Amino acid sequence: MSRFFTTGSDSESESSASGDETAPKAPGGPYSKPLLLSEDEEDTKRVVRSARDKRYEELTNLIRSIRNAMKIRDVSRCLEEFELLGRAWTKAKGVVDREGVPRFYLRILADLEDYLNELWEDKEGKKKMNKNNAKALSSLRQKLRKYNRDYEGQIAAYRQNPEQSDEDEEKSRRDSEGSGSSSGAEDEAGNFLKRRERDEPRSRYKESESEPESESDEDWGDSASESDSESDEDDGKFTSLASKFLKKDEERRGAERRREEKAKKKLERKSRREEEEEEEEGGEWEKVKGGVPLIKEKPKMFAKGTEITVGLVMKKLNEILQARGKKGTDRAAQIELLQHLVAVAHEHQLGVPLELKIKFNIVASLYDYNPNLAAYMKAELWQRCLGCIEELLELLFAHPEIFVGENVLEESENLSNPEQPFRVRGCVLTLVERMDEEFTKIMQNTDPHSQEYVEHLKDEARVCGIIARLQRYLQAKGSPEELCRVYLLRVLHTYYKFDYAAARRRAGQVRPGQVRPGQVRPGQVRPEGQEKEDGQEKEEKDAQVKVEEEEKKEEEEEEEEDSEALMERLCRFVYAKDRTDRIRTCAILCHIYHHALHSRWYRARDLMLMSHLQDNIQHADPPVQILYNRTMVQLGICAFRQGLIKDAHNALLDIQSSGRAKELLGQGLLLRSLQERNAEQEKVEKRRQVPFHMHVNLELLECVYLVAAMLLEIPYMAAHEFDARRRMISKQFHHQLRVGERQPLLGPPESMREHVVAASKAMKTGDWRRCHRFVVNEKMNGKVWDLFPEADQVRAMLVRKIQEESLRTYLFTYSSVYDSISMETLAAMFELELPTVHGIISKMIINEELMASLDQPTATVMMHRTEPTATQNLALQLAEKLGNLVENNERVLDQRQGAYGGYFRDQKDGGYRKGDGYLRRGGFRQERGNY
Amino acid sequence: MASRKEGSGAAGGGFGAAKGKGKAAAAGDSAVKQVQIDGLVVLKIIKHYQEEGQGNEVVQGVLLGLVVDDRLEITNCFPFPQHTEDDADFDEVQYQMEMMRSLRHVNIDHLHVGWYQSTYYGSFVTRALLDSQFSYQHAIEESVVLIYDPIKTAQGSLSLKAYRLTPKLMEVCKEKDFSPEALKKANIAYENMFEEVPIVIKNSYLINVMLWELEKKSAVADRHELLSLASSNHLGKSLQLLMDRVDEMSQDIVKYNTYLRNVSKQQQQKHQYQQRRQQENIQRQSRGEPPLPEEDINKLFKPPQPPPRMESLLIAGQINTYCQNIKEFNAQNLGKLFMAQALQDYNN
Repeated sequence: MSRFFTTGSDSESESSASGDETAPKAPGGPYSKPLLLSEDEEDTKRVVRSARDKRYEELTNLIRSIRNAMKIRDVSRCLEEFELLGRAWTKAKGVVDREGVPRFYLRILADLEDYLNELWEDKEGKKKMNKNNAKALSSLRQKLRKYNRDYEGQIAAYRQNPEQSDEDEEKSRRDSEGSGSSSGAEDEAGNFLKRRERDEPRSRYKESESEPESESDEDWGDSASESDSESDEDDGKFTSLASKFLKKDEERRGAERRREEKAKKKLERKSRREEEEEEEEGGEWEKVKGGVPLIKEKPKMFAKGTEITVGLVMKKLNEILQARGKKGTDRAAQIELLQHLVAVAHEHQLGVPLELKIKFNIVASLYDYNPNLAAYMKAELWQRCLGCIEELLELLFAHPEIFVGENVLEESENLSNPEQPFRVRGCVLTLVERMDEEFTKIMQNTDPHSQEYVEHLKDEARVCGIIARLQRYLQAKGSPEELCRVYLLRVLHTYYKFDYAAARRRAGQVRPGQVRPGQVRPGQVRPEGQEKEDGQEKEEKDAQVKVEEEEKKEEEEEEEEDSEALMERLCRFVYAKDRTDRIRTCAILCHIYHHALHSRWYRARDLMLMSHLQDNIQHADPPVQILYNRTMVQLGICAFRQGLIKDAHNALLDIQSSGRAKELLGQGLLLRSLQERNAEQEKVEKRRQVPFHMHVNLELLECVYLVAAMLLEIPYMAAHEFDARRRMISKQFHHQLRVGERQPLLGPPESMREHVVAASKAMKTGDWRRCHRFVVNEKMNGKVWDLFPEADQVRAMLVRKIQEESLRTYLFTYSSVYDSISMETLAAMFELELPTVHGIISKMIINEELMASLDQPTATVMMHRTEPTATQNLALQLAEKLGNLVENNERVLDQRQGAYGGYFRDQKDGGYRKGDGYLRRGGFRQERGNY
Repeated sequence: MASRKEGSGAAGGGFGAAKGKGKAAAAGDSAVKQVQIDGLVVLKIIKHYQEEGQGNEVVQGVLLGLVVDDRLEITNCFPFPQHTEDDADFDEVQYQMEMMRSLRHVNIDHLHVGWYQSTYYGSFVTRALLDSQFSYQHAIEESVVLIYDPIKTAQGSLSLKAYRLTPKLMEVCKEKDFSPEALKKANIAYENMFEEVPIVIKNSYLINVMLWELEKKSAVADRHELLSLASSNHLGKSLQLLMDRVDEMSQDIVKYNTYLRNVSKQQQQKHQYQQRRQQENIQRQSRGEPPLPEEDINKLFKPPQPPPRMESLLIAGQINTYCQNIKEFNAQNLGKLFMAQALQDYNN
């Protein structure tokens, strides 16, 4: 018993020292001392009272630990304690029944409820909570709700008038005390305690009064500390309420309400920020608060009645700009300010130059909005940015007399003086270039398979429009360098798009009398675009967008030329005028790409060869190299479409042989171990990626390469079957073949590669029909061939090539079986015309690939049978190997002779050489010189 | 016994080079001059391969019999069980002992007189066979290895050969020194590594009688596979194997060559060093200083490790076997072709 009491008093003094407000009011505590004192006198009474006190003390202890747990946000602990509390409460039922529900118990229930509600409301905090706590929170909340239902009325009453209930309770307690015992000492002690209570709360109230103020001033800190301080504050309030000296009933009652509000506010905080960004009017200035001292002063920037002049606006502008880049500057608010400033300037007719100037700055701060280089603009910001630039350009067009340049000094700017020409510092070109970069970034960061991407892609038209307008503007007044830059921008937005309109126009010219191109177009283009939604071939992807864009353009500019002519014109200018190597390189590559895309193979090839880019591209920076790789790939595909298999293979070899096509084309990162690349590098690489709508289809690429390799490699393999020194033309192709061979069970081909492997196998035996079936079929059409703009032509070319190469392979493989073979039979077998067969065979004979002669009158091929048979070949190989062996053996012998004595070596060797007339001696001597 | 394990684990092989008539003379000084094989043994070996061997996989087994004077009679045999991954702890020695004990119970000769193995196109001259046969011969002097060529047998002529290591090679193997010098001293060349022992297949009279009877009854007596003209496949395979061996030989020679070069280079360095030292000493003497102490020259120049030559000997032996095989095969084939031509001419 006494142990209990001592602990009770201990904790009391402790808690009062630490300012814990529950302790002083804990009924068990205060009375423990007097009890101890009066112990000897009042034995019987003590028993009665101690039952009640014991229970109450138990409860208060539990309540205290709940409060502690609440303070450190340990919900799971709260839950445990609450359960214990519930048990203790049932134990204390008897006492409670006699005396009614004690006030402190109601208080903890009410507080706990509020606290939980608050936590529940705070979504963000909940997310941060660990799992245990979160679980405990929900279960505790439910339990408490159920539990509180029993005391609903009392709690409500308590909330209504906490003070009252407190008083009542105290009174009743005192009454009971009085009735129970009339010991003066006890009363005195009680009074003393109460007095202390009174003193304490007063001082604490002062604290709590000052707190709210400071809180409203401070920026919304992290939620944890905030809620801590809040709960402290609230607790303080409640203690103060408990004492009679507190007058602020209002505040008291409003406590919970306020708390709820705060929780709500916290939730809204974020959204409000965003709202603020969008809020247009200057009337909202006051709302911008916290953390940005500079802006706080702003609302008064134009005092009423002040005459607003250019100088004044300029001053304000500079003031705003000074905050730029500083830590703690609210960038969103800054943009608002500038917007406002424009409005003001416009309103007061301060002149276009000033507006221009401010608008330049708006766009610049829009770009600055994201401090991180890797982050990309949000959609609405991007839209605003586009809008601003468009407005800017409009102004510039409307006022061609204003001189804009980045080399205009701040001092020499002329914004207001109408006598002199207006001069404004700023560079539209840079802004547009930056806009283009931002656009690329947005595209890079959007999931290419989402609707969002399509939405973003629609902006491409706007971007192109802006660039075109800028180009027109600069053509009038820009320097050649600037023109080069803007041309490059234009070129970069043009080169990868297939010009359907021009293609159709050409088709229309070739076949006049067809339906008018304009009518045919949408029908032709659209289905294609939809069909191949997954096709990375860019022009398919944005076919729809482009159609709209084209229509608009055509309306806009009647004289809009073919993209071919456009490219030609722009690139030529760049070639002539550019002085930085990079722009010219890019322009050439784009030009080649464009040629290749439109199947102008020879022009593309000549340009590539003339530019000598292949020699020095490895010195260029990675983005240019990526462009180069894209161009080479496109060139290869172009050659393939033209049926120039060898050229296609050579162009694609570099990219494909590395097995890193994806990376080399900037279309994705390879999975590599972290050692090879750290996070920093990865970021850099990510920034280099080509946006999805410009991708080259990798499967198409690989398929083209493999088919080209097949057409080259299979006849070659057949021709050199027994050649020990045979070289592989394409390692990758052989790799695929081997993979195919390793398969234990050969099902019908599924993937593109399997198709090609199966086709190769068919071709090996000269079975062109099967080969054809494997290369051109439904699956392959869907996967690959339909992606070409002129798919049918390509397919026709392919069939032809397969027939020819199969014929060659057949002749190589089976010529040893024939004495003679009729060309007509061959022509029938391979469904080729007789002259073609004749041509192919003649070529083979001339190249000494086929040992045969043609018998003209009967149109037959007479085999000469000079090729060795398999066994003969083996024998030949063996002979060769034996030759090597002998040679090696000779060396041993030589060595031995030389080793007998260094002094006579020369002599000896000379003699030896004379004696031995071995053929390889000469060559051997040279080799020996190296020893 | 332990070595048998090795032998059976490895991919078969042995030695085949030494089977000319000259060999018979060489065999004169060894313990066994003739091998007499029971028909039962031959049939058991053939059956064993038929059942378990395929492709270039090799089957092996133990030969049982007895020695009579200088004649080794092989009267029975049993196969080694095929190895599988699962029963790695299978005790072969234990198995053999068990097997022999059981055979003794049924009154079969249980003297261990050697082992047999099949071969693929005559490729059996390997290190594994050498080691194996060495340990056999080391333990039981009269042991032989029977090499059974299933492919030739399938073509119509039973091919079974008995080999032993020559006493010279036994000496070398005992020394375990395969350096060029040692081999040279022992006068070992590929021709005299193995000796072939003539084989006689003998059946009991009763069996002979039964065979006569069977022959009369048997309807299929024409052995046309013997006259088959299709030879390129066999020849091609042989050539291929021969080529592989030649390649290995080349590599070996290159290795040896490098070694020789290193030796001579070092020799030169040594010589230079000695000369320099001599000159210095002369100078010192003239100056009246004491000469430099003699250092162990072999410590300064560590002689390069000579490559073991046994491998190349074995390869040479194998090449020889291949060549013999091809020669034999081609001789037969040419004969057949001439026969066929004569027939053709006759028919026309």
